[in-house]
Order: sequence, then C-alpha cells, then structure tokens
Amino acid sequence: MVLPLVLAALTALALAAPLLDRFLGRSTGWPLAAAFLGLAALVATRAPEVLSGAGAPSFDAPWMPAVGVGFHLRLDGLALLFVSLVLVVGALVMAYSASYFSHGRHGDFYLLMTLFAAAMFGLVLADDVVLLFVFWEITTICSFFLIGRSGLSASRPAVRTLILTAAGGLALLTAVVLMWVTTGTTRLSVILEHSAWTDDPAFATAVAVLVILAAFTKSAQFPFHYWLPDAMAASTPVSAYLHAAAMVKAGIYLLMRFSPALADHAVWQTALIGFGLVTAVLGALFALQRHDLKELLAYSTVSQLGFLVAIIGVGTPAAMAAATAHTLAHALFKATLFMLVGVVDREAGSRDIRKLTGLRRVMPVTATLTGLAALSMAGVPPLLGFVSKESMFGAFLDAPGPGWVGPVVGGVAVVGAILTFAYSFRLVYGAFGGPTEQSHLREPKAAFLFPAAVASVAGLVLGLVVPLLNPLVDRVVTDTWGLVHDSDLALWHGFSTALGMSVVVLGAGTVLFLRRAWLDRVLDRSLFPVRGTEVFERLYRGTIALGARVGDLTRSDSPAQHLAMPFVLLAVLASVALSAGLAVGDFPAPVSRPMDWVLVALIAASVLGAVVARSRLAALGSIGVGGFTVALWFFTLGAPDVGLTQLLVEVLTVVVAVLVLRRLPRSFHPTGRVRRAAAAVLAIVAGGVAALATYTMTGRRELSPAADYFLTEAENETGGTNVVNTILVDFRALDTLGELTVLGIAGLVIVAVLNANGLLPNRQPTAIHRFAGSPIDSPTDATILFRTVGRWLAPLVILLSAYLLLRGHYEPGGGFISALVGGAGFALAYLSAPSSDRAPIRWPYIALIASGVGVAVLTGVAGYLEGSFLRPVHLDIPLPWGGEYHFTSALVFDVGVYLAVIGVVVTALNRLGGDSGPPGGMPRSRGASRSGRSAGKETR
Amino acid sequence: MTLAISVGLLVAGGVYLVVQRGMVRITFGFVLLGHAVNLLLVSGGGAFRREAPLMSETDASVAADPLPQAFVLTAIVIAFAITVYMLTLAGVGKRDDDTRGGPAVSGEKDEEKA
Repeated sequence: MVLPLVLAALTALALAAPLLDRFLGRSTGWPLAAAFLGLAALVATRAPEVLSGAGAPSFDAPWMPAVGVGFHLRLDGLALLFVSLVLVVGALVMAYSASYFSHGRHGDFYLLMTLFAAAMFGLVLADDVVLLFVFWEITTICSFFLIGRSGLSASRPAVRTLILTAAGGLALLTAVVLMWVTTGTTRLSVILEHSAWTDDPAFATAVAVLVILAAFTKSAQFPFHYWLPDAMAASTPVSAYLHAAAMVKAGIYLLMRFSPALADHAVWQTALIGFGLVTAVLGALFALQRHDLKELLAYSTVSQLGFLVAIIGVGTPAAMAAATAHTLAHALFKATLFMLVGVVDREAGSRDIRKLTGLRRVMPVTATLTGLAALSMAGVPPLLGFVSKESMFGAFLDAPGPGWVGPVVGGVAVVGAILTFAYSFRLVYGAFGGPTEQSHLREPKAAFLFPAAVASVAGLVLGLVVPLLNPLVDRVVTDTWGLVHDSDLALWHGFSTALGMSVVVLGAGTVLFLRRAWLDRVLDRSLFPVRGTEVFERLYRGTIALGARVGDLTRSDSPAQHLAMPFVLLAVLASVALSAGLAVGDFPAPVSRPMDWVLVALIAASVLGAVVARSRLAALGSIGVGGFTVALWFFTLGAPDVGLTQLLVEVLTVVVAVLVLRRLPRSFHPTGRVRRAAAAVLAIVAGGVAALATYTMTGRRELSPAADYFLTEAENETGGTNVVNTILVDFRALDTLGELTVLGIAGLVIVAVLNANGLLPNRQPTAIHRFAGSPIDSPTDATILFRTVGRWLAPLVILLSAYLLLRGHYEPGGGFISALVGGAGFALAYLSAPSSDRAPIRWPYIALIASGVGVAVLTGVAGYLEGSFLRPVHLDIPLPWGGEYHFTSALVFDVGVYLAVIGVVVTALNRLGGDSGPPGGMPRSRGASRSGRSAGKETR
Repeated sequence: MTLAISVGLLVAGGVYLVVQRGMVRITFGFVLLGHAVNLLLVSGGGAFRREAPLMSETDASVAADPLPQAFVLTAIVIAFAITVYMLTLAGVGKRDDDTRGGPAVSGEKDEEKA
C-alpha cells in the first residue's frame, strides 16, 4: 500500500501547496521538502525487499476493467533508482526554492512542481502502458506551465517545448497502442516478456523506433536537443529539477525500461549509440561556446544525456551498471550546478562568464561546492562522476557489432569526455577565477546554499564509498538486462584500458583548459548552419500556412459559396444514382388530377416572378403567391390542417418580411451575368433531379401500416377525430414538444440578435411626397380603415382562435393553427397603428414563449399519472346542468403550443417593427437599455 | 406527376435564390425550398388518396396518410420561425443585407464585374 499512498500524498501535497503558500509564501518549499523526504523514507522501507531480489512491491486496482487497463504500480530496482532521484532531488530543489524566490506568493510554482513530482513518481512506477502514457503526458504539461509561468519571453519556448515533447508523446501513444494490440495486454511487465519481440520483427522495429522518438524528444537528443537550452527560460529551480534531474531522465527511464525487450535489436543499438554519441560531442562543443552559465549547463545536460543514451544502446550488463551510476551521478552534480548558478545569478546579478570574475574570494563556499560538482562532471577522482564515467568507458569498448566498433565508440566517448572536462573547468573558472571585481559581494545565507551543498558533497561521499551502490546497481541491471549480475563499481580497478582512457581525458582536458583562449577563438563560429529553434519555427509557420492554404479553398464570407455546395453534391449523388438505375414501383392509383395543373402553373408563375424580380417587394409578392398556392396544394391533397397552417404562416411571413423590407433598399443587389448563369444551371439541375426523385421514389405504394393504424385507431385511443391533431398532441407529443422548444429558441435568438445588433433604420418611401397634404400622407388618417375594422375584428379573431384551439382535437384547428390565427389578429392590430411607437402589443413575449414551453412540459409531467411522460390524461367532468365534459390533457398541451407560437409571432412583430428602443412588452431588463443604446447609434 | 413538377419548380427557384447576393433573396430561397420539402413529404404519403383524415367525415379507407401531414404541419411552423430569424439577420447590419464576401474571397469578385 506504500506506493499508492505516496502517489496520493504527492497529489494531495500539490493541491495543498497553494494553501500553504497563502500563509508561508516562498517558505512553502521547506515543508514540501520535508514531506518529500518523509515520502522517500516511506518508499525506503520497501527498498530492502527490492534490493534483496525478494520481489517487487506492487499495487493493482481496476481502472478500465472493460478493456483490461489497470492502475498497476510496481517498484522494481529501476523504479527505485528513479524514485530516489524524484523524491530526494525534489526535496533539495524544494528547499532551494524557499530561498531562491523573492518574498511573496508562488503557489502556482509549488503546485506544479509537486504535481510534476507526482507524475514522475507515477511514470516510473507504472506497470501499465496506458497509465505510463498518462503520467508521461502530465509531466509534459507540467513542464509547459512551469516554463511558461516565467513571463512573456518564456511563452514561445514553452510552446516549442510543449509541441516537441507532445509529439514524442504521440509516438509513445502509438507504441502503446501497437503493444496493446499485438500482445493483448497493457501490463508492462507482461508485455516486456512477450514472445512478439522476437517472433515479429516488424512489430519490434516499429515499437523500437517509436520508443526512441519518444525518449529522444523527452531527453533532448540530437536533432531534438534544442528544446532544452530553449527551456532555460524557466526559473532555476525548474531547470534544476525538470531539466537536469527528473523530466529529461524520463526518456532515459523509458529506454532502460524497454531494454530487456529491445537491447538486441540492431535499430535500437545503432540509433542509441549513434545519436547518443553525436549528441554527447555536439552538446559538449555547444557548451564550450556559451557564455551564459545556465545555457552552458543546458548544453552540458544535453551532452550527458547523450552519453547515457549511448551507453544504454550498448546494452551489456556493464553498460547498464554504468548507466545506473551515471544517472545518479549526473542528477547530483547537475542539480547542484544549476542551483549554484542560480545562487551566483541572485548574488552577482549575472550569469555571464564575461561579466563574472574572481568570485572565489568573496564567495569561497559557493566556489568550493561548484568546484566539487564540476569535478564530478569532469570525471575527476575520487568523485562519483569519475567512477561512473570510467565504468562507461569500459562498457563502450564492448559495444556490439564488428570488432572495430568498440574502439571507435570508446574513442568518440573519450573525445566527448575531454570536451566535458574543458567546459567543466570553463564554468568554474569563468565565474570564480580571475581577478575579483565585485568585492562587495557576500556569501549567501547558509539555508540558500544548503540544498546544493548536500548534493555536491553527496557526489564526493558516494564516490568514496561507491561499492555501497552495488546492490542497487545489481537490481537495475537485473531489471534492464534480465539476468542477475554482480556489479563491481569501485574507485580503483587496477590498470585497465578504461583507466588509460580516464588518464587521457584528464590530460587532454587540462591542456584544452590551459589553452582556453585558443579554444575560444577556434569555437567562435557557428558550428551548425541552422539553429534548432529556427527550424522549428519555420516548420511551425509552414504548417500553419499550409493549413491556411487548404482552408482557403473553401474560405469565404459569401454564403452563396457555402450554400451552393450541398446542392452541387446532391446533384452529383443523384446523377450517380440515376446512372446506376432505379427500381421503380407502380402507383397504386392515379396520382394526378386535371385541377392540379392549375396549381403547377401558379407555382411556376410565382417562382418565375421571385427569380426575375429586381424589386424586393415584388419578389415578396411572388413568394406570397407561391405560399398560398402551396396551401391550396395541401387542401387539394386532403390536408386541411396543413393547408390552414400554411395559409396563416404565409400571411405572417409577409407581414414580418414587410417590417424588414422597409429598412432595405428597394432593389436587390445586382448580380453578374456569369453568376446568374451558373446559378441558373445549378437551379435547373437541382430542380430536375428533385422532380425526378419525387416522381420516381415517392408515393408508389399503398398506405403504410403506421398510417393505417392512425386512421383506424386514433379515435378509439384518444377520442379525437382529427387524426393529424391527435398525432401532434397525443401520439407524437414528444416530437411536438421538441419542435415547440425549437420555435421558442428561435424567438429568443431573434431577441438576442436584436439586443446585440441594432436594426437598420427605416427608409422613408420617396413616392409618398406626391401625396403631401392628402390623408395618405398622414399615418393617422391613412390607417383609419384598418383601425375601424380592427376595433371590432380583433375580439372576433381572438374568439375565433380560441374556438379553433378547443375544437382542434376533432375538426381542423388545434394549437398551431389557432395561434397563427391569433397572431394574424395581432399583426392586424400592429399594422393598423398610426406609428410604430403606438403599435407594439404590450405583452411580455419572452414570458409567453417560456410559459408555452412550460405548460407543455408540465402537461408532459402530468402524463406520469397515466404512466409515462406526455401521456394524455382523460377525465370525464360531470357538468352541473347534466351530462359530462370529456377533458383531455392533450388540450392543455395544445394551449402550450398556442402560447409558444403566439409568443414568437409577437416577438417578431414587436422587435422587428419598432423604430427605436425596446417595446413596452419587454420586461425592464438589461436588454432594454442595450437595444436603446443601439437605437441611438442608428440615428447618429 | 403534378406534385413532382411542383417540387422541381420550387427547388429550382429556391436553389437559384439561395446562391444570389443579399440575405433577403437567400431567405426567400429557403422559403421556397421549405415548400418543396413539405410537398415532397406529403407526396411520400401518396397523392392518390385525397380525403382529409377527419374521422367524423371521412372513411378510413379513403383518407390521406395523416403521418406526413403531422410532420409537415410542425415543419411549416418551424420554417416560419427560421424565416423570421433569417429576416432578422437581413434587417441588422451596417448598410443593408448584402452578403458579398470580403476582399479575401477570390473568384467572386470577377463574377461581380461580369
């Protein structure tokens, strides 16, 4: 239970960090450091079990049992190595942060750092590939935020790092999927022992390449190395932890984890050794060029990671032992150096070795600690770095392949190590050597130096007692190589080739350091024709530009282009279908009647009129004729309800359209001949296809069983004789409720659009001046007929609509139709008003819409009395004068329909008709002042 | 046949209008397309039985299919709401209901000149 406990504790600490920060400010680092150490001790209680080889403590919990993905944690030797890095170095960095930052709040930093530690902990323990991937991604995201929080200049580096490491993450995800599919399990320890690695070379190669990609991006290997120096925009504690000890080691961990399966693979060996050594040498050369201490350290990290990758590629037990030792050594000396560079930066105000000089006299302790860590990095005895480097040398000589490979690889490694030696001394000398100029500087507080001192001295002590590490190294070798191995890390191995290589390194390195002026001159040039970040930016911009270019194909503000597409597509599909041939049935009875042709002619005339009209009003007239003709069609086809609805809708459409048209120019915009011709061709093809499809594919069968059911059973089931209405309110009431809601939303959207955008102003008709002085010119006089008629017609219309509503269940009528009749009454009242100020119907239209939908929903809920939502409730109410009234809740539902439709009609009339400001029907709300403001804008 | 021709005419007119310039014409185009689809739906029920499905007056054996009628009835009202919404869009803006694309749009401009 220790493992999930530690993971949970780290997560809890992350969440608690901002709270702690509220009280402690930057000192939050201290309790966090203590907690990290406590958790490390907790893990250490299981260490004897791991080191003795008795077994790996593990934890299993179901996560996605349906697909077999589990929350599996497993602490083997390799995991223990990295856990100790994560927790111990993490504790040091946390303690360091408590002094590094300025006083004040750093809650986000502590949260992200602790969260990162939790993710890293989970990553190295995960025994499920999906889980491993999730933690891998969390470290990427934490890194992004930790870099990005350092201000504006860090935003591009943060993005570049994120994109690159996330790309590596995708490679890992692909590998995860491949392994899952091939082996049928997500359990990492099972996958690594699967026979597919040897039986299926294609699979092994693919996974090898993908894992290498993931690891190389994470661990900054050439050619992805550039992100690490780029990421130095982050604050020093972030660099010390993420970019020296922990995150960049995730790639190393991944390579070591997959070594048992892939170590013998040629691609794996070649890529790791080749790219690793190139990175090692290039990184070291770049480090020698840098003047900024932090940048120097970044390239040094790149170089050291290159050594690690190469040695993992060698893959022998001795190589794995060396990799283990060097991972540890590097984490210690590199974290130390980052922390101390931060100290120097804080105290001296610069990290540039051209500005820093002679600090050894004023900061002797800092100088000593830096020197100690740098000696470890340079591989000088008796520090841990010497032991690890010499064991690497020994292992390099046994690199797999033909006989010449070992010596060549060893030689390159020696070159890299010589350069490492040179830049280590360059770093120490650059800051602390030479004459002292800033003599006023003082040694920082002990607390600031303490964390770095611990790591620095640990490098020395561990070097002296290095055999103590052998049990851990043995376990790691067993976990990464597969067989038990006896490691013999020691300061002195007797005279060997490796010792000779160390001597060469020390000697040549010293020469290079002594001839540093010459070296600087030689290296003072660009070693590479391009910079990684520039290549990245070029690729990045190129990708965006390519996307824009692809998007341009369809990018247009003109609706016509978008609207034409579906019809073009339909025409194409239809021609394909037609060329394939159609099986056409027979009509059960003749479908055309002579009178129909009158309707066809009317439709043709109205369509033609709408198409050729240049005036908006004329087009509207034609559209109106078309609508009425369609209504007639419905009557002819035996659909009186539909016909009535169509008729009323047409009236209201024309009324609303007129309200808008008077704000627009008289004539349509001119369109070019080409466009008209193209539109005509498209229109004719689409029309032809539609007619053909309608003729051949509809109505060629007897009535459907559903229709039969409704016709024969509707009256028995509902008591209603108007079958269409019973379908709307009884059988398919849920559909109607949905449609009602759409209607209501359309009304609200109209209100929202008009609240956000003012209407165009009304245009004064020019022709009216001709009648100046006559009653036609006066709005009051001109509407007298309307008003007189309207006065007695309006109550009648409302009565009529109520009657239609009540009888809808039995005769043509119902909620939709009666509401439209009522709406037409409102339209009449509206149009008869002498001015738009006096026109509005002072009804709360939004409340009307809402109450309509509300009533419908409540009726639906009442349906539960009968067993289900929207089921009509029937009641026979005895009347006082005898007999009974048959009540059905479908009627109440229809009232809901009525209210919602009336609401939308009144909305349209009020909001589109008004000249200025909101109508009175609108409740005094925010909307009122907003549309008032937009109206004011129009008059300006 | 007659119904199919009507649908074809309405579709042709609707398609022609929706690819024109100006929100009002696009709206009118949609109105025509709405009519076309409504007639198509009714045609799906069959145009050979043309008695209203009112059981107090009509015998079930000759009444028209009520199901598409119910569909079309609600469709008409929804189409009305959409029409009003589109007309609203035509009524807001800077100058009028023009829908000509910005300068970034190629091709369109040439047509306008023609």
